Amino acid sequence: MNRREWLWECGGGLGGIALAHMLGAEGLLAQPAAGGAPTGGLHHPARARRVVQLFMSGAASQVDTFDYKPELIRRSGEKFDPGGKVELFQSMPGPIMKSPWKWRQHGECGKWVSSLVPHLAACVDEMAFVHSMISNSNVHGPATFLQNTGFVLPGFPAMGAWISYGLGSMNENLPTFVVLPDTRGYAPNGAANWSAGFLPASHQGTRIRAGAPRPIHDLFPPETARYITPAGEAEGRRLLERMNRDHMAARADDSRLEARVRAYEMAARLQLSAPEVLDISGETQATRGLYGLDDPVTADFGRRCLMARRLLERGVRFVQVWSGADNGHPRRNWDSHEDIAKDHGEMGAGMDRPAAALIRDLKARGLLEDTIVYWTTEFGRMPCSQGSKGRDHNPFAFTSWLAGGGIRGGVSYGASDEWSYKAVDRPAYCYDVHATVLDLLGIHHERLAVLHNGIQRRLTDVHGHVIGEIQRSPRRPA
Amino acid sequence: MTRQVALILCVLAGAAGQERSNWWSLKPLARPPVPAVAGRLSRTPIDAFLQQQHAARGLKPAGTADRRTLIRRLSYDLHGLPPEPAEIERFVADPAPDAWERLVDRLLASPRYGERWARHWLDVAHYGESHGYDKDKPRRAAWPYRDYVIRSLNQDTPYTRFVQEQIAGDVMFPDDPQGVVATGFLAAGPWDFVGHVELREGTLDKNITRLLDRDDMLATTMSTFTSMTVHCARCHDHKFDPITQEDYYSLQAVFAGVDRAERPYDASAEVYRERRPLLEQRRALLGSLEPLRAIAAGVAGPQIQQLDARIRELRRNKAPREEMEAAAAERRRMVHERLEPRTRVKLESLESELAWVEGLLGGLPRPAMVYGAANVFETQGSFAPAWSPRPVFLLHRGSVESPGKAVGAGALAAVAGIEARFRLPEGHPEGARRAALAAWITDPRNPLPWRSIVNRVWHYHFGAGLVDTPNDFGRMGSPPTHPELLDWLAVEFREGLGGSLKKLHRLILTTDAWHRASPDHAANRVVDADNRYLWRMNRTRLDAESLRDAVLAASGNLDLTMGGPSVEQFDFKDDHSPHYDYARFDVTSPAARRRSIYRFLVRSVPDPFMESLDCPDASLAAPRRTTTLTALQALALLNDPFMVSQAEVFARRLESMTPARAGRVRHAYLLALGRAPRSGESAAMVEYARRHGLANACRLLFNSNEFFFVD
Repeated sequence: MNRREWLWECGGGLGGIALAHMLGAEGLLAQPAAGGAPTGGLHHPARARRVVQLFMSGAASQVDTFDYKPELIRRSGEKFDPGGKVELFQSMPGPIMKSPWKWRQHGECGKWVSSLVPHLAACVDEMAFVHSMISNSNVHGPATFLQNTGFVLPGFPAMGAWISYGLGSMNENLPTFVVLPDTRGYAPNGAANWSAGFLPASHQGTRIRAGAPRPIHDLFPPETARYITPAGEAEGRRLLERMNRDHMAARADDSRLEARVRAYEMAARLQLSAPEVLDISGETQATRGLYGLDDPVTADFGRRCLMARRLLERGVRFVQVWSGADNGHPRRNWDSHEDIAKDHGEMGAGMDRPAAALIRDLKARGLLEDTIVYWTTEFGRMPCSQGSKGRDHNPFAFTSWLAGGGIRGGVSYGASDEWSYKAVDRPAYCYDVHATVLDLLGIHHERLAVLHNGIQRRLTDVHGHVIGEIQRSPRRPA
Repeated sequence: MTRQVALILCVLAGAAGQERSNWWSLKPLARPPVPAVAGRLSRTPIDAFLQQQHAARGLKPAGTADRRTLIRRLSYDLHGLPPEPAEIERFVADPAPDAWERLVDRLLASPRYGERWARHWLDVAHYGESHGYDKDKPRRAAWPYRDYVIRSLNQDTPYTRFVQEQIAGDVMFPDDPQGVVATGFLAAGPWDFVGHVELREGTLDKNITRLLDRDDMLATTMSTFTSMTVHCARCHDHKFDPITQEDYYSLQAVFAGVDRAERPYDASAEVYRERRPLLEQRRALLGSLEPLRAIAAGVAGPQIQQLDARIRELRRNKAPREEMEAAAAERRRMVHERLEPRTRVKLESLESELAWVEGLLGGLPRPAMVYGAANVFETQGSFAPAWSPRPVFLLHRGSVESPGKAVGAGALAAVAGIEARFRLPEGHPEGARRAALAAWITDPRNPLPWRSIVNRVWHYHFGAGLVDTPNDFGRMGSPPTHPELLDWLAVEFREGLGGSLKKLHRLILTTDAWHRASPDHAANRVVDADNRYLWRMNRTRLDAESLRDAVLAASGNLDLTMGGPSVEQFDFKDDHSPHYDYARFDVTSPAARRRSIYRFLVRSVPDPFMESLDCPDASLAAPRRTTTLTALQALALLNDPFMVSQAEVFARRLESMTPARAGRVRHAYLLALGRAPRSGESAAMVEYARRHGLANACRLLFNSNEFFFVD
């Protein structure tokens, strides 16, 4: 095993020791982490320390939320003829369909937002919108991979895994990358969306099933195992360590053996810290109200957003919260082919208040300053109708927005055409948003790379431009 | 252009070409002389090559490990299982000079060998049993390929044949139904259900789906058999290796006539020999019928509309079958009446011929099905067979929107001496292309497959290959630490050993190198901390499957039934997107007791327990596994219902063996660690078992470093 592999294995093992620490330990890190925010960063000073990603699974419509097009209202019901051939996923293009929601300007920036998301509308001065997002696929599976991993193919590390690999943990008692899937089920691609791919397994997303009796897999033995008792566990841990120390005595040069002993110590700490972080009973009535825990419409996503805040607060680096499960019927995600008013209505109402609460709560606690909130979806929806009330997939234009951690609030970057059919002004891809987020975290997206099967792989593939326009203080290239 | 400039350009081109063919992995193979090593006699030629490097670098090789260590190492290496205590004692006490060779032969002859090494092969093939992506449907007919790999290894199929079968077994060995099963290799990777079935023919996204699907087939084939990263040349000529975009698209063309689908085969070769010509006839008829059926499908009219309405109603009312069939026949008659006479005659004659062939096929025993590479299958949505290979174009920057010139089937031009552009007759069947690629790969003049396979085998025996990037023998990969040894092994394997993997194992397992202990040596570490020159044996951590199987073996709970449909260690609920729930699986059920190679492998939702042990994602090739030691892994080994339940089973086994607690602890050590406890250890463990029960003591052994690592 060479040194790189040793770091790979043991760095993975200790969780807290990721690339930044290794480089720091070797004196390769130009600027070691200084106290207070912002921290050191891997390649340049960081302006954010952590990320929470809100993923709208199934394709959330831009034309019914944040991408205001008066032309659609004016010409609703007319033939959709943007020029050129219109190739849809499932259907033939129907007439132009205006949004069933009303539009109004909000905030100091005067952003037009639909009445589907009134709470988020109140936060527009914190948010930067990218209206010219394009996906390379109009199929949910590949497109969802693309937003998560930068590749339409399965098998690549998720953004959270890359960031965990690059920056490591801020709390050795908790996982670095945590995922809170929709309680109704997994999004397309399942757990592969938060895989570590070819990075060490320690960087994969740890799934927390909010509200389930056993939220973290194997955190504790099953209750049915009566033979396992707290006293037996405590004594067993000591004996196990003694056995391992004996075994190690004649193998002192093999650091993996020591690393494994440390992994068991960390496991014990995780058993202590995880239940505390997941227990929201101590949150005030006001906080619970803010996230909508008292309303069945918002309670589920609200609980998970609140857990996300608790995890971030305790040093988890990357939290991913899903809104929407698989593409089944009745609809349980944003894939509203049949009835946008009904299905987006339900998804939007469930997501809006909690997402806005997360921004406000993070801000109130001083965490928004160095936490990036990143809202995305796999692609957009068409300005024309499908059937009479639904919308088909639109990979050519959709909206993502970001807030907090070095993001300039109240701005909109790029634009779609007058229909919101195709991105025309400064088209952007997930590569660009990923590069921008990494940049704020102090990572140069081209330099966070790993050689795998002959190719230097990175989150941004061979693409990516940092979007300085949505950053508060864009970094000048060195 | 002046003459001088032209001359310079020629020289430059020549230099570049020469430099390319000089790359180590592309050089022709020749058997290097075995170095004469001074002093101590080398046990095998392999050791002579290694010893030469030790001497050159001043490395002091470690001594031989003790027999107890050796048999445990061997058992995990060849079987992925711990040795039985009785086996250990027998070997430790065996005075015969050939005790080791007999032990190796016995283990190689055991079917457990194929089960263990097939897992390595499936890692490289990235074999999975669901499609992956959205709507991750199970592939319930994938397992025959897994059994084929196990059987081939156990039978020691010569490597050339093993390679040829997996690329084109159905056409190169037409009388052997296992040739069909072997094409499961080409279909092993993920498949985008929505892209293939739901996207309309002719759309951009459909073409992208297909491009990426072929990309996976050719990348898997070339990485597995030649260790070249051909897939890097999809968008541009390879940046580092002599692989052009034209090479790449020639390989796309090789697979342009097949898709991943279920296809029939027979367990009995005799039945299959009857079936195969009928299947071929059927395919030809279906192909000729397709345009005619398309014409018939386009026929319409008010009477037909009326009849269609009636048929819909019959279906709604669940009318008797005869009535439905009569209506269908009536419809056919009406359609045929409206066809142009020549079309009608042709259509009817082909349809009746097809009915005849279908009748004959129906008279044969029901075939088994395997998920493999298929050029005919049931159409599903817009997923339909290509009756002749689909045209392939060189795509500018890899974009389906910028097709360039048409490209025929071929392989890599940089391999000297073998024609890289396949010369196939006009109108050749698609299988001829795959057969040509199989022939190109296994051509004795092709140096790549031989270097590739001996390096893989070396990698699994020592924990690191002579080239430590087993899937990349290009410039981005590592160079070999012992190039002469690699070539010697490649030639010896191809010629001396006749492509027998078992003989190759035997050769490696009888070296001094493999027998070394793994002690520390400060001076050696200064020179070669990574042990790339094998001055000692590498200590390895058990992989996911070996750990799980070792737990079952120790607890006496291992079910050694071989083959057949995979055991589903999850609760399955079919839906638009199927659900796979591991938490609801009963870990005490018989399905939990099979060897791990027989687990059903879901792509979208991998088993979290196995995943924590670094079981790779079946979406990408895993020529080597990463090994981690994480807190979540510790929790899985401590608390996973499987581990917790096996510890109890282990305790019950021990209780049935002997009444005294000390005896039980002794047996526990023998079964789990292959040795008796020292007296201090025994006392502590007996006391722990007394206070907290034997099951908890068993749990500790399963979690110990000594159980997890192999010296």
